[in-house]
Amino acid sequence: MSGIHQFVPMLHRGDAVGRHTLRLRDLFVARGIASRIYVEMVDPATADETVAAVDYPAQCEPGDIVVYQFATASAMAPWLAARPETLVVNYHNITPPELFAAWDNHLALGQLRAQSELRLLAPRAALAVADSAYNKEHLDAAGFARSAVVPPSAALASDLLCAQARGSADSARGAVRGTRWLSVGRVAPNKAVHDTITALLVARARHDPEATLLIVGKPAVASYADALRRYVADLGLQGAVTFAGHAGDTTVAAAYAQADVLVVMSEHEGFCVPVTEAMTVGLPVVAYAQGALPEILGQGGVLVDSKNPYLVAGTIAALLADPARCDALAAAGHEQLAALDLATAGTRLADLVCALA
Amino acid sequence: MASPSPPQGNGSHDDGSHDDGEAEHQAAAVAALRAAFARLQPQGSDAWNFLAAFTHLGDQYGPYQPGASEVSKLLLAPAAPEGGRGRTRGAAWKRRVPDEGAGASPGAVLAAAGPQAELSQAMAQVVEAFRFLAGRVATLERQLARRDRPVEGAAWLAPAPELGEWVEPVRAHLVALAAPEVLHGDCGEGRLLDALDVSAVRATGVEPRGMVALGSLERGRRIVIGEVDEALAARPPASLGGLVLSGVVDRLPLHGLLALVDQAHRALAPGAPLVVVAHHRAAAAARLTEGARDLLQPCNLAAQTWEDVLGRAGFAHVAPLRDAPDDESRFALTATVPA
Repeated sequence: MSGIHQFVPMLHRGDAVGRHTLRLRDLFVARGIASRIYVEMVDPATADETVAAVDYPAQCEPGDIVVYQFATASAMAPWLAARPETLVVNYHNITPPELFAAWDNHLALGQLRAQSELRLLAPRAALAVADSAYNKEHLDAAGFARSAVVPPSAALASDLLCAQARGSADSARGAVRGTRWLSVGRVAPNKAVHDTITALLVARARHDPEATLLIVGKPAVASYADALRRYVADLGLQGAVTFAGHAGDTTVAAAYAQADVLVVMSEHEGFCVPVTEAMTVGLPVVAYAQGALPEILGQGGVLVDSKNPYLVAGTIAALLADPARCDALAAAGHEQLAALDLATAGTRLADLVCALA
Repeated sequence: MASPSPPQGNGSHDDGSHDDGEAEHQAAAVAALRAAFARLQPQGSDAWNFLAAFTHLGDQYGPYQPGASEVSKLLLAPAAPEGGRGRTRGAAWKRRVPDEGAGASPGAVLAAAGPQAELSQAMAQVVEAFRFLAGRVATLERQLARRDRPVEGAAWLAPAPELGEWVEPVRAHLVALAAPEVLHGDCGEGRLLDALDVSAVRATGVEPRGMVALGSLERGRRIVIGEVDEALAARPPASLGGLVLSGVVDRLPLHGLLALVDQAHRALAPGAPLVVVAHHRAAAAARLTEGARDLLQPCNLAAQTWEDVLGRAGFAHVAPLRDAPDDESRFALTATVPA
């Protein structure tokens, strides 16, 4: 085998696909396999880790395997489809374009392109690997003949989170009054953060006037992020909702430590790393049963089948008033994490790819 | 999966009908909250996006990549074999249209290529037209945002006081004029709506402060969470049976007040009453923080100026509200749209 090289439109150190790609590259290299990361556009922060994809034709060798990290539309897709190397598609999900349409037509069109590119790659791929069984259904629908499910290696919680125990979290919360809701993830329409905000309004009116919400995540769609701020202002929740923006591992770990519940109201999730992070630290999770969330959360949290804010607020209030139930969910969460076996996810994926050589 | 417990209400219920009523009111509250967020979508509704058009074109003629980068062109060039699997969207698109650089006129080329090529080029022009329109809409939206950018949470900076003792004379005036359907801008906790409901007058409140509106929604009042000018703009001309403006008139700048009065005149039916309950300037100023005054620059017209403004806007019978309470901080005027 000459090498196993990954292609990703842009490599960001801070996002899940970027971390996953870097970990996978390190695993291949550790096995003595040449492995480079090719990008369409260079992120200055990772420039020393990447090579421009246009250079690949001059560097390729017979017998190469190429792994395409598929999460968005890119000119790489048709280009890779036309190349002769053995192709593996590592699929991280495409957000349905209709969720972006009312906020950003350009992004919606990009998702349409991505859907088309997935179908284009299907007959060319020797193997496709999905993050979740939910994502695998997308691969099957797109026409991939051979596919497998391996969770993203980036879902493995950081050392900071792993070291965090809920006992210490209690002391981190200190004497603060009011339940602390937490939302983690890109601030984008498919995350439906507005539904969490609406539920917080009802929770403050009915259950806990001092409940607060911390939103940790990079604003991914500007118009949506602006609307969220305006909505918070209109509802009179300025003092109750905090937008923390993009945060590093330390800040994220602190957010989990100080929270009482992770609230996930996403319309569409292909995996949802924050859920596994919350289960790692034993933080209760209340999530809308959509996409891959029932599969990833398992018994480790509370799923609601409606986003009715009265139901969500009531569910959270009832859960947090029942410490024994929270403890049981934390234990179930750890069992679920064990079942997902995130620690070996990278190795399993590397094994699948190497087997194609 | 754990099953959620039912939401807890504020009071106990002794029969199912109360539960049904509460569920109905909660459903109305949920709908109002969702509508309050939906109005913040930059393109308002799916009618403003071009997704369906692009989807249809993509299905019919192959996907189309607007704005392909120079890098992507480089990527596409070396590996796309003629007629091969790697044919790009751009290439697929071009392949249907003959090369116009070969010397022949475009018309001749199209004629030679047949109706399929002509159709393809026509569809490409449609796509370009959509892109042009999308660009124009985006430009106009940016200009509007610069011209009149709303202050976030303006209604919270200058919270509208409840009508209190003004509820009864306002209700009596509307009932006396037999207003069939009344809109109350900045309805607060909805006490006027309660009173009108008792008098069998159909009333809807508009309240921009979501937390304040929630209580009246849960009591079964009809409330739109939003600004009254947006609610009026959404109504057909001459369709409203009566309008009460309070609160909002104490926090708008002059151009906002004038626009609101024009909207009111447009929305009210002939003969329909308007009631304005406003604070005297000194009282209004005393209620606001310095920051709120700086950000909102409220106008606080004098009563006499209100009479003039309403008259200029086309209202008739402008007069002080009868049986007004003994309140030195506020005044109320009534007017009607000429029949």
